[in-house]
Amino acid sequence: MLKSAPTTAAVAAALIALCGCERTEPEAATVAAAPQHPDFSGIYFPAGRQQDPQRPVYTPPAAAALAEYEKAFLLDDDPGRYCQWPGMPRAIWGAPFAVEIQQRPQDLSIYWEGYGMYRKIYMADHNPPEPVLPSAMGHSVGHWEGDTLVVETTNLKPYPYMTRQATSSDAHVVERIRLEERDVEGQKVKFIVNEVVLTDPKIYTTPIKITGTLRHRPDLQLLEYTCTDALWDEYLTKRGLTLPDMDALAAP
Amino acid sequence: MKIRLTALLTALAVVALPAAAHHSFAIYDMTQNIEFEGVVETLKMRNPHMALTLTVTKPDGTTQTVNFVEGAPANMIVRMGLNPADIAVGKPIKTIGAPRRDDANAYFLKAIILADGRRFSVIN
Repeated sequence: MLKSAPTTAAVAAALIALCGCERTEPEAATVAAAPQHPDFSGIYFPAGRQQDPQRPVYTPPAAAALAEYEKAFLLDDDPGRYCQWPGMPRAIWGAPFAVEIQQRPQDLSIYWEGYGMYRKIYMADHNPPEPVLPSAMGHSVGHWEGDTLVVETTNLKPYPYMTRQATSSDAHVVERIRLEERDVEGQKVKFIVNEVVLTDPKIYTTPIKITGTLRHRPDLQLLEYTCTDALWDEYLTKRGLTLPDMDALAAP
Repeated sequence: MKIRLTALLTALAVVALPAAAHHSFAIYDMTQNIEFEGVVETLKMRNPHMALTLTVTKPDGTTQTVNFVEGAPANMIVRMGLNPADIAVGKPIKTIGAPRRDDANAYFLKAIILADGRRFSVIN
């Protein structure tokens, strides 16, 4: 697995960004030669979410679809239970599992332990590829505005679960992602603050603003999360099949 | 930092969050805290919900299998500090369960209490 260690210059740039310090002349000269940006690489854990408006206003056709959906679907009819990825932008605030970010100059790779979701953010100035198929995570292209990473995501496949922040193929997600250092119980802790604007005029009458926060957790490791285990067990039970107990086999 | 399912359930109350969480827990009567003492018969340390069955010896000496059909995600409960070896098949443990409303022998696993007294509450 690739692991991009932050360069001294990147760390210095991040610290400058965090403390709001003015750059001195020699540092500015170095930065001009090779622009440095915050390094988001690391392991994080979801640490909160805010939304405005809290109750989005649906367009009349979407409101009708919601009414039909609520008549037919129960809360337990949950796509997540059947391992459907929440996808973007829902993944940002996420399930209570670790998230790993690996950053390179040309892209960021983000891996969510929950559901095993994976996403790539291509940097606009590094010849990003064209989107191929609509997907749950969509096609994301980013650029830097100072120390903020601005990412636009399109090519999302519909998420037609009306009570779960539904989105259509027209969904457009803009993220403004930055690092913040906060004092937590006397310790300086790194947070990623992601200000998301979801626009989907087929469904919502206004853009929805969501702020998702991730806390840096270098003490955590990513664990495997195979969502389909329970489904497979249910299938075997339904079929009346019992798998051999490999651990009970006699050793030679 | 302890990560409790309580936090997840609290989060479930937020209108849009269930996209990333799982189903509601309305099928269980979560107001109940039924305590069982027995021996682990089967264990599935899996996501999105662990499951186990417990062999309980009744006062008349007969045994009964109690089916905890789901509990915390395996990843969440090990992050709380539970070593799966402590609840391996054959280990004596106590559990707290909330019954399904439509199946009195199926429970949500609210807490595990090990023989040494350590308690792993996934919901209070």
